[in-house]
Amino acid sequence: MSIEQRRLLTVRLTILQYVICVLFAVLAVSFWVIQVVQHQKFQEMAENNHQRTLGLRAPRGVVFDRNLKPLVQNRRSFSISIVREHSQDMNRAIRLVSSALGIDEGGIRATVERHRREPSYRPITIVQDATAAQVASVLARRLELPEIVIEQVPTRQYPESMAAHLFGYVGEVTDSQVNDQEGLKSGDIVGQSGIEKIYNSKLMGADGARRVVVNSVGREIRTLDEDQPIEGTRLQLTIDSEVQQAIEDGFDAIGLNGASVVLDPNNGDVLGLTSHPAYDPNTFAAGVDRATWASLNSDRDKPLTDRALQGRYSPGSTFKMAVALAGLEEGIITPDFHVYCPGHAVFYGQDFACWRKSRGGHGSVDLRTAIERSCDVYFYTVGNMLGVDRINKWATALGLGVKTGIDLPNELQGLVPSTEWKRQARKEKWYSGETISVAIGQGQVSVTPVSMAVYVSALANGGTRLTPHLLKAVDDGSGWKPASPPKQESKLAIDPDMMRAVRDGMWMAVNNPSGTGGAARIEGHDVAGKTGTSQVISNKGRQAAKGKTDRNLNDHGWFVFFAPRDNPEIAGVVFLEHGVHGGNAAMVVHHILDTFFAKKEGRPLPPKPVLKPNMNPSMG
Amino acid sequence: MFERRLYYHIDWALLIAVVALCALGVVMIFSTTSDPTRGTSHLYVTQLYAIALGLGAMLVTLTLDYRTFSDKSHLLYFALCGLLVYVMFFGTAQMGARRWIQLGVVNLQPSEFAKVGVALVLAKFFGEQRGSPGAAELAIAGGLTLIPVALIAKEPDLGTAVTLLPIFLAVAYLAGMRMRVLGIICLCAALAAPVAWKFALKDYQKSRISTFLDPSQDAKGAGYQQIQARITVGSGGLSGKGFQQGTQGQLRFLPVAHNDFIFSVLAEEQGFAGVLVALGLYLFVILRALQAATLAKDRLGSYLVLGVLASFTFQVIYNVTMSAGLAPVKGLTLPLMSYGGSSMIATLAGFGLVLNVRMRRFTN
Repeated sequence: MSIEQRRLLTVRLTILQYVICVLFAVLAVSFWVIQVVQHQKFQEMAENNHQRTLGLRAPRGVVFDRNLKPLVQNRRSFSISIVREHSQDMNRAIRLVSSALGIDEGGIRATVERHRREPSYRPITIVQDATAAQVASVLARRLELPEIVIEQVPTRQYPESMAAHLFGYVGEVTDSQVNDQEGLKSGDIVGQSGIEKIYNSKLMGADGARRVVVNSVGREIRTLDEDQPIEGTRLQLTIDSEVQQAIEDGFDAIGLNGASVVLDPNNGDVLGLTSHPAYDPNTFAAGVDRATWASLNSDRDKPLTDRALQGRYSPGSTFKMAVALAGLEEGIITPDFHVYCPGHAVFYGQDFACWRKSRGGHGSVDLRTAIERSCDVYFYTVGNMLGVDRINKWATALGLGVKTGIDLPNELQGLVPSTEWKRQARKEKWYSGETISVAIGQGQVSVTPVSMAVYVSALANGGTRLTPHLLKAVDDGSGWKPASPPKQESKLAIDPDMMRAVRDGMWMAVNNPSGTGGAARIEGHDVAGKTGTSQVISNKGRQAAKGKTDRNLNDHGWFVFFAPRDNPEIAGVVFLEHGVHGGNAAMVVHHILDTFFAKKEGRPLPPKPVLKPNMNPSMG
Repeated sequence: MFERRLYYHIDWALLIAVVALCALGVVMIFSTTSDPTRGTSHLYVTQLYAIALGLGAMLVTLTLDYRTFSDKSHLLYFALCGLLVYVMFFGTAQMGARRWIQLGVVNLQPSEFAKVGVALVLAKFFGEQRGSPGAAELAIAGGLTLIPVALIAKEPDLGTAVTLLPIFLAVAYLAGMRMRVLGIICLCAALAAPVAWKFALKDYQKSRISTFLDPSQDAKGAGYQQIQARITVGSGGLSGKGFQQGTQGQLRFLPVAHNDFIFSVLAEEQGFAGVLVALGLYLFVILRALQAATLAKDRLGSYLVLGVLASFTFQVIYNVTMSAGLAPVKGLTLPLMSYGGSSMIATLAGFGLVLNVRMRRFTN
């Protein structure tokens, strides 16, 4: 090798040497930047890669009746979810899942779309409470469908056909609920009505989580740690399941729609509450399908409406005790005050009929008899003497026309009119003639069944307007603690003699042969009660509409009751929509009271009754 | 033949560094492929056999004078081209590429040996020239390189084919090719790139390059490996997650971790510290070999050393860059560390030649 060649070689090799050193230095710096400077970022990305946090849904609190008999429980169910992160091709996955499960592709697509802004590793539930066949069908296609996961979740289980509106139902949280309420996140299952809604924060519990390591195809390798879910607070309700069942059976037997609320008149405990027709909350527990939801909403009988709290009807003759007490306490009448009922009476130039007009009226009646036989003329007269404002004052004090404050959502307010109300709402003067209809609970008077239960409880307990409530005690895992009862709304100072006169009238209505509520009589238990008929349409209107409408134009029937007359233990109301008259409601009440006293005395409970409602309009 | 005194001139430091890299490779292969839940894989054992065979091959390339090899280099060259042609028609296909010749239980990958063959034939060709190579010589040498390049690219194995080009460039450069010519070649390559893009590259190759420029456009497909590679390296941190504690490699977020991405696994489990050790070893090996080229007794020796070193260095730098997600993903292994028998044997045989040249720097 020549010197020249050697030099060229050395120079060029030296250059190469430097170039390589520089390249390696660049590599080292690059690794330093990635591994040391940006370590945090890549560390997180690596963890997101291989760690998944899977939610473990907390079971909602079990709901018991007052004797700690479980009413609403949880059962295990399977839900099928889709994890977008594991998916190469969502369209294909949705198509496959749809055919595997036999459910509508559009529905799945809509569900996935609704959750599209959530992190892609979070499972989106497409089928709740999947059937064994659906689970098996998905498991069989596991390899084709790596994006599908099957989770075991607790699902609400409600007693069959019992107190649906009271328990309410659960459903996936809506967007507006997430925005409005602290601590809720998308995908949570929350109470949407009834007890489930009002005590949702107690019932919900705390969801747990499981952190798992997954490999590149999403298969779980091992569990890193697990936060056990905490079951929601258990609730003890004031409901007596036997009484509740008796109410349900009574409605079943009578075959009419309506509502009933039964209270302990001493403290406002709700012993039973129902609204018919009902729905099955279990269908909501696992996510209601669109067809069921649509049919529930479009049903003309409105099964989703809680008639006990949201139905407003004229109280009819059940209102008469309020008028009676007003007259007595305002000093306008005494229990001995007599009115002669010829079957009708004329006030302000207008003729007002008594319901017994066709049989020549009631003759001369005092207060007790007027209540017993529900004489309209008597109360027209007393009402006219009182004026609407004093009727309003006493009816309101007894709980009518105001909200009761029961611990259930969406209670509506009834109406007991006054001159003030008419001036404000209608911008009109009150006409004295209007008072006459109000005095027998017609006209503008409207009440909810639950407010009627408060009213009759006040009659039973001597004038205390109670706040009905459902929650008796709670157990958040540390034992039962009594729930603080709501404070009484008001205690009226009512002369006991006056009160006794009204109660006597109610007792006679049930126990005298000429009373209107004989169907509710139970020997030895001194049942007191009062029937009521609420006109759906005026008699003239009914004639005019005959044959022109398929709407049910039958009057509604009421029966309010308490028992025993002295020291009452139970009070309440049964309302029958288009039940024609209160006597039919009294039949249902009979079964409720029979059950209540049988249970109390340790007798065998009466069997489910067979009731034949009298659909012939005749009573008041 | 082998004379006893030559033994003292063996570059033990280079040999030890090379063996250390092989050992590091075996450890990392063991770490990524042994899965306690699925029973231990025997890939690392296979790799140990390959190293043993490679050391045997090294002994052969060390023992005979390198001039003997270069004298016969044309025969070796034709034999290799023949094998490459054979592979094209009768080779064993895996994953859409026909690269292997089945020899009983072993699969031989002739393209790996082509690197040594091309280094030998180019060293001989330029060694016989006097003065700086002219256009004609460059054209002939280029042609000699491009034949195996084309054959390998046809398999298709564009990655390995490309590693042959640095051999030509490096040896021609050392032989005194004018820098201007080198510039022109680079310019031509730059101009040819769009043409190659349009006509020569397959769709999957195009997608690899386009996703390299923007990995997020196809985070599940071609960009996936690149993103995962960077996560793997970055999550390793300064000191790494520990032996077999890497999540990226162990849980298979990174494909072919024991092969193309062995360096990513090293970076994940041994951290920046491990990276520095490995890079240091590679740099030492390369510089030490360059020293051998400087010390060589004749131009043939220098060219041969640089030829062997060129494809090795190119592959090391490219693979390490790719391991960090900084270069498009190509099926290029990391010499000495990646799993793969043919590559190991061919690389060790190549280093045998490097040792050979240095060892015989005083003989005549």
